[in-house]
Amino acid sequence: MKAIKYASIVCITCAILAGIAIPMVPQPQSWLEFPIIPGLEDKARNIFFHVPMAWSSVLGFLCALYYGFRYLRTKDFDYDIKSVSSAGLGTMFCILATVTGSLWAKFNWGSFWNWDPRETSIFILLLIYGAYFTLRSALGSDEVRARLSAVYSILAGLTAPFFIFIMPRVIGGLHPGAKGDTAGSTPVAQLHMPPNMRVVFIISIIGFSLLFVWLLDIRVRAARIEYQLSKKEI
Amino acid sequence: MYEFLNQNQMFIVLIITLLIWSGIIWYLTRLDKKINQLEKRLKKD
Repeated sequence: MKAIKYASIVCITCAILAGIAIPMVPQPQSWLEFPIIPGLEDKARNIFFHVPMAWSSVLGFLCALYYGFRYLRTKDFDYDIKSVSSAGLGTMFCILATVTGSLWAKFNWGSFWNWDPRETSIFILLLIYGAYFTLRSALGSDEVRARLSAVYSILAGLTAPFFIFIMPRVIGGLHPGAKGDTAGSTPVAQLHMPPNMRVVFIISIIGFSLLFVWLLDIRVRAARIEYQLSKKEI
Repeated sequence: MYEFLNQNQMFIVLIITLLIWSGIIWYLTRLDKKINQLEKRLKKD
C-alpha cells in the first residue's frame, strides 16, 4: 500500500509537471517538445487530466461490479463495503470527467453542453449510479440492501464500458473518436498521439489509477469501522 | 472572460487541473468528516 501511495504521488506530479511545462512547437525537434495539434493547441494538454478521470470512473464501476459479484458468492459484508465504496469513488470521478469535459467543450465546441453522444452517455451513466445510491438509501435491512445493490452494481457495471467506450464510437458526434471522425482529432482519441505525449498520458493514467486505489483503501477502512461499530451498538 | 481564456488556453488547462484537485479535496473533506463522527462514536462507547 505504501508503494502505491508514493507511486501515485510521483506519477501524478510528473504528469502535471510534464503536461503543463513541456512547450508545444510546430516542428518538435527533441523529446521535450510536443507538436501542436491543429484545432486543439494548448487545450490538447487537457488530455492528460480529463481522460484519466473517465478511466478511473470506469475502474470504479468495474471494481463495484467485481466486489458485488464476490459478495453474491460469499455473502461476506466486507465485499459489500468495497463494492459501494468503489461505486462512490467511480461516481466522483465520473462527475469530474463530466465537469472538465464540459469546460473543454465550451472552448472547442462552443457550448458547455451539446448533447453530443459522449455527453449523453456519461449523463446516463451518472443517472444510473444516482439511482444506485437512491436504491441503497431506500432499503432498510442490511442483508437485503447488500444483495440488491450487489445485483444492481453488476448490471450497472456491465453497461459502464458500453456507455464510455462503445456508444460514443458507434454514433457520429463531436468528441474525438466518434464515428466518421477521421484525421483532425484522432491523435487524441485512439492513442495515436506522439510518443512523448503518450508517455505522459500513460503516466497520468497510472497515477490516477493508483490514486483511486489509495482513496478506495481509506474509504473502505472508514466504512469497515463504521460497520463494526454499528454491529457493536446493536 | 471567454475571449481571454480563448487566447490564453493554458489557463483552461489550469482551471481543469484545479477542478480535479477541488473534486479530490471535496471527497477527502467528506471522508474526514465521516471519520470524525466515527471517532466521536468510538469515544462514547
